[in-house]
Amino acid sequence: MTEYIENPALWALVVLLLIVIAVVVRQRKAAMALRQEIAGLREYYSDLEHHYVQSVAAAQEQAEEATKTVLKSAMRTLQGLAAEQQLILSRLQTKHGESVILQDLLEIDHTNSQFGRRAQSIAVLCDGWLGRHRDNASVYDVVRSAQGRVRHFRRVEILSQVDFGISSRAVEPVALALAELLDNATSYSSPDTVVEINIRAVPKGVAIVVDDAGVGMNDEERARAERLLSSDRVKSVAGLGNPPQFGLAVIGVLSERFGFEVSVDSSSPYGGVRAVVLLPHELLTSMPEKKAPAPPMTRSSVPPPQPNGPEPVPASPTTTDGLPLRRRKRPMAIVPGSAPTPIASARSGAETAAIMGAFQRGTRSGRAARGDDGDQTISTRGSSSEGHEFS
Amino acid sequence: MNGPDDFELDATELVRPYVITKGRRLPDDDQLSLITLVTAAPEQVQRPLRLSPEEQRLLDLCSAGYLSVAEIAGHTRLPLGVVRIMLAGLTEAGYLITRPPVARARLADKELLEEVLSGLRAKFG
Repeated sequence: MTEYIENPALWALVVLLLIVIAVVVRQRKAAMALRQEIAGLREYYSDLEHHYVQSVAAAQEQAEEATKTVLKSAMRTLQGLAAEQQLILSRLQTKHGESVILQDLLEIDHTNSQFGRRAQSIAVLCDGWLGRHRDNASVYDVVRSAQGRVRHFRRVEILSQVDFGISSRAVEPVALALAELLDNATSYSSPDTVVEINIRAVPKGVAIVVDDAGVGMNDEERARAERLLSSDRVKSVAGLGNPPQFGLAVIGVLSERFGFEVSVDSSSPYGGVRAVVLLPHELLTSMPEKKAPAPPMTRSSVPPPQPNGPEPVPASPTTTDGLPLRRRKRPMAIVPGSAPTPIASARSGAETAAIMGAFQRGTRSGRAARGDDGDQTISTRGSSSEGHEFS
Repeated sequence: MNGPDDFELDATELVRPYVITKGRRLPDDDQLSLITLVTAAPEQVQRPLRLSPEEQRLLDLCSAGYLSVAEIAGHTRLPLGVVRIMLAGLTEAGYLITRPPVARARLADKELLEEVLSGLRAKFG
């Protein structure tokens, strides 16, 4: 052993070993420090990244909110104008009901309704304002209201009806959702095909079935449609694509908010899409009664009976509107209005004969002057007494 | 959406007139004038179910006897042209029959009557 201790090589080796150990230890320490530093950095980085994502999302949300607010108030103005214009059009239609202008007024009315619908749809996507009706309406009328809001409404046919009404708060949303469905159905099918609507009472409520004869949807489109209708749809206006596709997104929002179901996942027997709107019982009412006519009827009082005038009509039967029902009429007078001459008091026979003779002479001279008009009185009398037998 | 600024739409009608007419055009004046007389076709026993409520109402109105177009429009409170379009449609479908208005009675010749009057005056006045 001792010879080993005195061996300088051994000492050298020991020293070398110590140095190596020291170096290794230092290295490991340094590595550990570095590793810690890296971990710290990584943490810092993920922290930063997290904050970045958060602030970007916040900014996006803010921008989205701002866009929605702007669009909402803009649409509100447009909706108000469309509603106002519709009132004016109604007035004009009544006023010019007899004229050929009516045709154009009806067309303007149709365009105005489509315009109003567009504004409403955008408003719905911006959590905005959707008008509501005060009265319940029949399902049939709501469907027709929806029909009137699409361009090709002539191609829509309602094949069946049910005796149900829709409660006032759901009238407008259902009409709008259905209008968007009809818009899709009419735009994605050829112009010479018909879009059929069947309204059926089902155990869960009322189903409105819309069948088109278009080309249908492929799997990708169907998936997209289902996503738009489900609750995890695109929440932002920006996600609607270009050109924006409002329809299904609007329907998704409306159905969720008002609690009805819409599905577009089946095929119609004509090869196109079958869309079904299912209205639950909560949104349904009994058939609303026909509204009483708006303007109160001012029944003109029966004029006092005139001495020689037609006999007063005794309490004529009236319609439910309060308008009098037509009764049998007397033949119309030929000679235009003159006050009834008071019946002459007693005359002698000779006097009467003289008067009649003079009358005859007078008429004869008149006839001689205008021979062609001779039998006019008789012919007019004949024609006037026919054709007035109403009951 | 149901906030305080929700808007009432009661003033506007739910079903617009162009939907009621199904977008058809106005009939010719000589086909259906204001005083054309209209009544329900006699063989019309069973009502088709596909008619709109407005058309059903028109048929109800006309089932009692002849009515003029103007009268029918007064009862329905719809614009006159709209009623004419509906009536034309129902007539084409065979639910209604129309009769041209009674020819207007020609007034007696005023000159003739005046001559008679002056004759009478000359004699007795």
